[in-house]
Amino acid sequence: MFELRKVEKRFPGVHALKGIDFKIGRGEIVGLVGENGAGKSTLMKVIYGAYQHDGGEVLVDGKPVRFHSPREAMDRGVGMVFQEQSLIPNLTVMENVFLGYEKQFVRFGKIDWKRMAEATRHQLEKVKLAIDPATVTSKLSFAQRQLVELAKVLTLEERVDGNLVILLDEPTSVLAKEEIELLFTLMRDLRKRASFIFVSHRLDEVIELSDRIYVMKDGAVVDAVESGKAEVEAIQRKMVGRDINREYYREEKQRPYDEGKVLLELDAISLPGRYKDISLKLHAGEVLCLVGVEGAGREAILRTVFGLLAPQTGKMSIHGSPAGAVSASQRVAHGIGYVPRERKIEGIVSGMSVFENMTLSQMDKYTRAGVLDIAAERKLARDWIKRLSIKASSENADCGNLSGGNQQKVVLAKWRSGGSDIILLDHPTRGLDIGAKEDVYDMVREMSAAGVGVVLVADTLEEAIGLSHTIAVVKDGEIKKWYNCPPGAKPSLYDLIHYMI
Amino acid sequence: MTLDRLKQHFPWVTLVVLILIVGAMDPNFLRPQNLVELAGDIAPLFIMALGMTLAIYIGGIDLSAQSVANMTTVLATITLPLFGVFSALVVIAVGFLFGAVSGLVTTRLKVPSFIATLAVGGIALSVGQFASGQRALYMDAGQRDRAFGWMLGSTAGIPHELVLSLVLLAFAWFIQNRMKAGRILKAVGAGELAAVASGLRVDRYKILAFALSGMFAAIAGLLFSVKLSGGSPTLAEGFLLPAIVAVLVGGTPLTGGVGGVLNTLIGAMIVAVVRASMLYLDIPATSQQIFFGIVLIVAIALTIDRSKMRIVK
Repeated sequence: MFELRKVEKRFPGVHALKGIDFKIGRGEIVGLVGENGAGKSTLMKVIYGAYQHDGGEVLVDGKPVRFHSPREAMDRGVGMVFQEQSLIPNLTVMENVFLGYEKQFVRFGKIDWKRMAEATRHQLEKVKLAIDPATVTSKLSFAQRQLVELAKVLTLEERVDGNLVILLDEPTSVLAKEEIELLFTLMRDLRKRASFIFVSHRLDEVIELSDRIYVMKDGAVVDAVESGKAEVEAIQRKMVGRDINREYYREEKQRPYDEGKVLLELDAISLPGRYKDISLKLHAGEVLCLVGVEGAGREAILRTVFGLLAPQTGKMSIHGSPAGAVSASQRVAHGIGYVPRERKIEGIVSGMSVFENMTLSQMDKYTRAGVLDIAAERKLARDWIKRLSIKASSENADCGNLSGGNQQKVVLAKWRSGGSDIILLDHPTRGLDIGAKEDVYDMVREMSAAGVGVVLVADTLEEAIGLSHTIAVVKDGEIKKWYNCPPGAKPSLYDLIHYMI
Repeated sequence: MTLDRLKQHFPWVTLVVLILIVGAMDPNFLRPQNLVELAGDIAPLFIMALGMTLAIYIGGIDLSAQSVANMTTVLATITLPLFGVFSALVVIAVGFLFGAVSGLVTTRLKVPSFIATLAVGGIALSVGQFASGQRALYMDAGQRDRAFGWMLGSTAGIPHELVLSLVLLAFAWFIQNRMKAGRILKAVGAGELAAVASGLRVDRYKILAFALSGMFAAIAGLLFSVKLSGGSPTLAEGFLLPAIVAVLVGGTPLTGGVGGVLNTLIGAMIVAVVRASMLYLDIPATSQQIFFGIVLIVAIALTIDRSKMRIVK
């Protein structure tokens, strides 16, 4: 009933969707998996009307349609439950549920709140959530908000005739086990009326729930697996394009770190609401990985080390001496480098050249009496372009026009060329293709060999396990468990998840 | 991509086309002497626009420029008998200080620059009114010529005002393209968060940008008061809009990060030609602001980088 045929989507410099064929029947649950950057989000945006496809066809009940906005898609029964929650926190539950659709409750220009509350209660019953519709949304728990999102989309049941298609983007990533089961039961019950497109990183869940699983890689659907034949390993291989093995994460290059040399020490630092009682030691040549769910406090710890956040209590020392003032420039001066998650926003300055980006953190070395030695800057950039084989037309190329992998290399070159020996990597492989990821893994190993300490927040658990010497599992802002990860004796995914949730 | 490339060349193409159009209406307009004089006449406005460029280059704006220039005309007239040529240093320092205050309010108190500079401009205006006693003041011609006579007149047909403008342009260009400060201003305009995450002390340089803007506004005010041999708290009225227009039509968008002071030179000349053409078309001076208002809206709409401004309020 809902079908995509040879759908194409291009952005400047990116071919995001390549000839996507995708089908969902009445009452089906369809899984959609792929690595970050494989094109899942773009595909979903085309489906729910946030993007328009620029090739191929989208068919509803066999008729071609083109959604110009999410609202148009909703009018045809296609709704999205967002992962990064779309509810407005300072509105009540009922205001959120009927946001943009209040007209039905308006009488003489005034909203009839009683009727709206009644209608909301009816929606909440569908998701078995017993809360007062007048509750302010920010007071709800994360899981409750997720259910309200679902209830909001389910208002389509009354509004639209015919079948619904509901997209769920990583709905389980922050839910506890019982909550996940509740959600799955709900989905199964709702199949009478709705089909679901279920996006998740957790392959076992996808396999358990879906009738069919679409596997995406590099903007194309590489396989559609019927649920009976689905196996975690086979799907994983298709997502990555080849066997994920120890070689992929360069495990054979993992060497023991120098236990005698502590680069960074956190001693019971706390910041209420973000993290609590965090103690750790980072040694020369060590890759220390913080593992946890979204919002567990990993980023806040990184940002604290980099001087963008101030801990309320606790001590921090760098190279054996107290960390001093809370400011990024002070930390940079002490040899800390930060590779942020939002590469295009915080990592590189797009609109500035490769050499300008590389010296951004170390301009003082190239400045005399306030005047820049641009020739020397260029030379540095040329050296590092060669050393990391960065694909750029020259050191003068606009960094914003490079591919994601090359941008990330520029960011790493910025810190490595400046001599930073404590490097914080926040999702360093996010949105990169396989080849670029492997380049990053190689660079991580090189840094270790050069005695650099790395604090890593990885994009996936596999990556965290593969790359790290040490893993700290962070939950609700606290370190719950430590693992040593020598090559060949690494903890499993399930060991970690157990402490994460 | 191609559209973006074309956009870069848009300012000077506009300038050439405008000159040719006006030249077709009156061939005398194209005489080199006339064009040089035209450029000289716009000097105070151009100098103010130079400062404005720095504020816009970082993605901010300086709405206090005109009021600072107004205040400067008064202060220059008052301090001239006391300090002679050194009164220039006094008023330039005051302009720098007012700009720095705008910068401090913007960075420390997190007040958006358009409102911070509007408020500081209000203060500058009042200082001007208070110091002048709400009257127009006049410079003593002898004192003025001894101290600042060199600003006026011309050598070999080149007005000194034009020379002064170009010297200031070279100074601003050097800061922008050759100094660490300029590089940081560019980074702030193009990607402030990345600049912060590179450990740059972004706030200091933002304050510097506003301070320099105030300083250039003061120099513009000084030149204007020397030219008119006096000062009054409303002398530079009507400068602000054309100065912003000059920056934006020159190709420095409101979102910052690209363009720069050379672009503003082109922009200021476009403004000069448009003004001159209005004389030929018999459009009264009082209606000029209507035109500049419209050009401003069009220029912003065409040049603003929407990816940096998802939400506009």
